[in-house]
Amino acid sequence: MKLWQKIFLSSLLLIIAVVNIVSIMLLGNSHRLLIEREQSHAVNEHEYFTTAFINTVTYEKLAKNSLTLKVSEIGKAAESTVNSVSRTVNSAIYYSTYASAALKMPNTLNKKIHEELLDNIDLSCNEYTILTLESENKHFMTVGSAEQLDGELYYIVTATDITEIFSLRKRQSDFVREISIISSAVISLILLVITITLLKPLNRLNIYTKAIAGGQYNIRILKKGSREFCELADNMNIMADAVQSHALHLEKIAESRQTFIANLAHEMKTPLTSILGFGDLLRIKKKVTDSERIEYAAVIVEETKRLRSLSEKLMELVVLGGTEIEKKPVDLPKLIGDAETALTPLLTKRNISLITDTEDITIEADEELFKSLLYNIIENAVKASPDNSEIILKAKRNKDKAVISVADRGIGMTKEETERVFEPFYMADKSRSRKAGGAGLGLALCAEIAKLHNSVLKIDSSLGKGTTVYIEMREVKSK
Amino acid sequence: MINILIIEDDANIAKMIKAALAMVDYNSFCCNDGRSGAAEALKGGYDIVLLDIMLPEMDGWQVMEKIKDSGIPVIFLTALQDVADKVKGLRLGAEDYIVKPFEPLELLARIDVVLRREHKTSSLLSYCDIEIDIDKHTITSHGEPVYLTPKEFDVIVYFVQHLDIAVSRESLLSNIWGFEFGGESRTVDIHVQQVRRKLGLKDKLITIPKLGYRLESCDSQ
Repeated sequence: MKLWQKIFLSSLLLIIAVVNIVSIMLLGNSHRLLIEREQSHAVNEHEYFTTAFINTVTYEKLAKNSLTLKVSEIGKAAESTVNSVSRTVNSAIYYSTYASAALKMPNTLNKKIHEELLDNIDLSCNEYTILTLESENKHFMTVGSAEQLDGELYYIVTATDITEIFSLRKRQSDFVREISIISSAVISLILLVITITLLKPLNRLNIYTKAIAGGQYNIRILKKGSREFCELADNMNIMADAVQSHALHLEKIAESRQTFIANLAHEMKTPLTSILGFGDLLRIKKKVTDSERIEYAAVIVEETKRLRSLSEKLMELVVLGGTEIEKKPVDLPKLIGDAETALTPLLTKRNISLITDTEDITIEADEELFKSLLYNIIENAVKASPDNSEIILKAKRNKDKAVISVADRGIGMTKEETERVFEPFYMADKSRSRKAGGAGLGLALCAEIAKLHNSVLKIDSSLGKGTTVYIEMREVKSK
Repeated sequence: MINILIIEDDANIAKMIKAALAMVDYNSFCCNDGRSGAAEALKGGYDIVLLDIMLPEMDGWQVMEKIKDSGIPVIFLTALQDVADKVKGLRLGAEDYIVKPFEPLELLARIDVVLRREHKTSSLLSYCDIEIDIDKHTITSHGEPVYLTPKEFDVIVYFVQHLDIAVSRESLLSNIWGFEFGGESRTVDIHVQQVRRKLGLKDKLITIPKLGYRLESCDSQ
């Protein structure tokens, strides 16, 4: 069952039940009040009748001037009382044997009085016995009492017709039933409208959620309706934000991976084209002169080397991506000295001097990887520098950080090139870089190593003036 | 003489293409960036432009946009293998699209197709005392007509167009029978033998072990 149906049905049932119970109670109460009023009225009548009867008997005694009357004389008095007093009220006087002394009472009622009332009359003459009897579709309120007259016991009964009260109750309850049916219909209609209107935002939320689940992550839910719905919409929007940013992130990763693979394919195909082309030319040409053979073979060897360095760098990248590095305290001046020694052949070949200015700093790093990082950066600086120039390497303490900087006075890069320089396969100057045997992976590698050391590489470069690379590492206080 | 413009930024690839073109006596000129390539193409005088897509200064698509009104047929040479790129290239008006790495003979074959479509090559070929008219599909030896099947005709034409070049059975198969032809290299051998017999080329159309065949030029004795 749907929520709106549940809410609708339960509130409808509750309303109908409450209305009916309340009206039944009201009806019952008013009926009871009417009966009570009738009762006091009936008791009054009864008292009046009893008094009249006793007065008649007394009157008879005074007339006959005797202290007692015979049973037959009292019967006569009873008969005259019954005939004279009761116009609207039915009345009867019975002997102790239940035989009637005087009777003005419908027969069936008389019978009922015999069956139900007479036995219950209180003989101590203190109280009235009141009983509602039904006969021939009429209701009578009967009041009975006992009276001791001259040693004989008489039962005095009066009966008032209260059929009107009962028929009133029936009419009222019929009326209430009709009203409750009609009002139920009206209420159910109103309820239906209210429930549907109130729950409408839920429907809307549902549609939006489906759309978001269906991949339309940019959809946001409009805040409309009651506060709960607004809150829900807010939260769902927050969820959609999270989903969207996550999806975007994944998309970005997939995209960068795609670009990486496309670039890789390109970088592999370029040397392959030369290798295949020259190899095939060597094979199919009838005459290959010595100079041609040397030229062709030289290209093949060169391009094969390029492929080899590409695959090596790739392997390094892949291995780096999946390794946990082992960090140890490393003495920075010693590390720089090692890198310097390793680079000496390259530096002397180009007649470039490496000027180092290092403070005594200990950092926490993987020695081999960090050396390779330094090596790569200095190598890049050498590649960018003109012959007979200098490269300045500094390691300075800045608060609790160690800042290593490598500055060259080489060709530099534009701002756009600087931004893209960490992208795998990006080469600011393709032809020059290729000639130097680069695959465009060096700085991507460096960035990866820096990342493993929770550090970031920063590059400051201006075209024609040179480039400075900064590495920031946390210093370890030596013991 | 056929003049070909190569717009390719990788010096070694440009060198390789130049050498391959020189093999069939085509003139070529290299430009190593898009801007100078486009300018050179617009100067005119080129029969075909071989255009790389990833170029410095101006990429191949932009160069194509710039030179397509000049009517020079363009063949894209690229490492991009995406079908979308291929479609983009052809839609821009390129004649063909060759994916790197490629074999020199494939490049030459594609160039031939374009040149023939542009009627830049003569339909008359001659080799020693053999005269071939490609349009009329006739061949004479010593002035006498020789009757060849269509495939045999294609085989001799291919050899004459690739004089002194060793042609593998595979490239014969793909260039004459088409790539979709599922035949074996045996088919090639039979046709070559027929051509050899019918035209008396026993000493000229020689077999090169493990590779294929080569038609020796007439005067190289």
